[in-house]
Amino acid sequence: MADTVMECRNLWKIYEKITAVKDVSLEIKEGEIKLLFGPSGSGKSTLARCLALLTTPTKGDVFHRGECLTRPGVNLNKARARIGFVFQHIWLFHHLTALGNVELGLRRVLKLPKKEARERATKALREVKMEEWANHYPAQLSGGQQQRVGIARALAMDPYIIILDEPTSALDPELIGEVTDTLRALAKKGTTMFIISHEMQFAREVADEMIFFNQGMIVEEGPPERFFTKPSSDRAKRFMERLIKRTTKE
Amino acid sequence: MDFIIEFLPRIFDGFLVTIQVTFFGVIMGLALAIPLAIGDLYGGKIVSTIIKFYVEFFRGSALVAQLFIFYFSIPTLLNIRIDWFTVGLVAFTLNSAAYQKGYIKGAMESVYEDQMTAALSIGLSKVQAIIYVVLPQSLRIVIPAWSNEFCSLAKSTAALLTIGGKDLTAAGRTMASQTWRILESYTFIALIYFLWITTVMKALDILYNKVKIPGLEVSA
Ligand SMILES: Nc1ncnc2c1ncn2[C@@H]1O[C@H](COP(=O)(O)OP(=O)(O)O)[C@@H](O)[C@H]1O
Ligand SMILES: [Mg+2]
Repeated sequence: MADTVMECRNLWKIYEKITAVKDVSLEIKEGEIKLLFGPSGSGKSTLARCLALLTTPTKGDVFHRGECLTRPGVNLNKARARIGFVFQHIWLFHHLTALGNVELGLRRVLKLPKKEARERATKALREVKMEEWANHYPAQLSGGQQQRVGIARALAMDPYIIILDEPTSALDPELIGEVTDTLRALAKKGTTMFIISHEMQFAREVADEMIFFNQGMIVEEGPPERFFTKPSSDRAKRFMERLIKRTTKE
Repeated sequence: MDFIIEFLPRIFDGFLVTIQVTFFGVIMGLALAIPLAIGDLYGGKIVSTIIKFYVEFFRGSALVAQLFIFYFSIPTLLNIRIDWFTVGLVAFTLNSAAYQKGYIKGAMESVYEDQMTAALSIGLSKVQAIIYVVLPQSLRIVIPAWSNEFCSLAKSTAALLTIGGKDLTAAGRTMASQTWRILESYTFIALIYFLWITTVMKALDILYNKVKIPGLEVSA
């Protein structure tokens, strides 16, 4: 059986007024792709950030490769370096070129020498088919190109898992394909991923398991085929119907 | 115009004083303003309150009063003597830092949240994120404000007159009172200020465009 790469147990995130994540437990094994979806404001981003150690959960624990990272005294910077994260609103470093964005972590976190960092960054850009755009600044790239650089930035650090928070939802419809194609290629290579997305066609193709999330809780989880044929919860069924109707209309 | 030539060495000395105090004030002010801005943003309540006091004092009181404090009050208390030039450098640095801290903090806040999160996500520490991501972007944004700060400081150096400083304005005043060519004297001085300040502003403008991030529309 494959090793567990990432796991959370009884995770809670409570903000002042809102409980965004309620008692969530989940597990991702090596090479597995889990896809989380659910209504806006249901706490998906909060969950993703807790898993990536970008925010501290109120209660519960997060484990990466068997190690509990929510204990005091853990070096979070070191831990984050090997967890890839791709943001909904992309968030490239504005003042650096595509190459500079990918190189920064290699140089300053992994402390690689210049030449080696450059080679590795170039390789990552090649993997997302952005090598030719290496010397362009984010503002000179389209949304889809920017997001591919965002993926390269995560990839270059040699992550054992990549967490993607709605990587295509800020993009114009015609640019979504290039990003999902990039992710398909990663999936084919066996990359472990936790993806939040509402691209249902893409989900059906790549996900090993889908999770329907609502009001901070996992409502239903299972293989994609079951979600597409007969989801057991009413809420998931209605949500799926709406998503599918929306995509077929376009 | 002979009288101008006669007074040129004096004017030149005064001009040097003005230049030195202004440049030193702006650059040391910047060097001090960066840690002040960082301390205010990330230093916690106590640090940020102390910084607020500092800033309020320098922004909320007259420059001349600040010069008096450094020239008369503090030396008397400590029983030492400080020359007007040193007092000028210190007072202008501290004063300018108070203003520049505001500009830099504002710029840092405008790039802060998402850029910081992105930086943390690749494993940079908070300090590294500030050095490699937040500051390089903030300092670019702050150049126009910096240009204004330079402009106002350059003119404020005339306040050195009140503690016997011999800056450019002081040289003009000496010239005017000794030759009785009041109009010509002050016009000539004003012209020097104008040329000098315009040159520096233009240079900062060129710098701003040179380091501007390609393709990005910024508004400070
Ligand atoms: N930093 C925060 N402070 C307070 N409330 C937050 C914060 N981040 C998210 N929330 C709230 O938590 C809830 C879940 O948000 P989010 O995780 O972004 O949901 P989703 O990604 O599913 O749209 C929302 O009600 C949101 O307003
Ligand atoms: Mg979200």
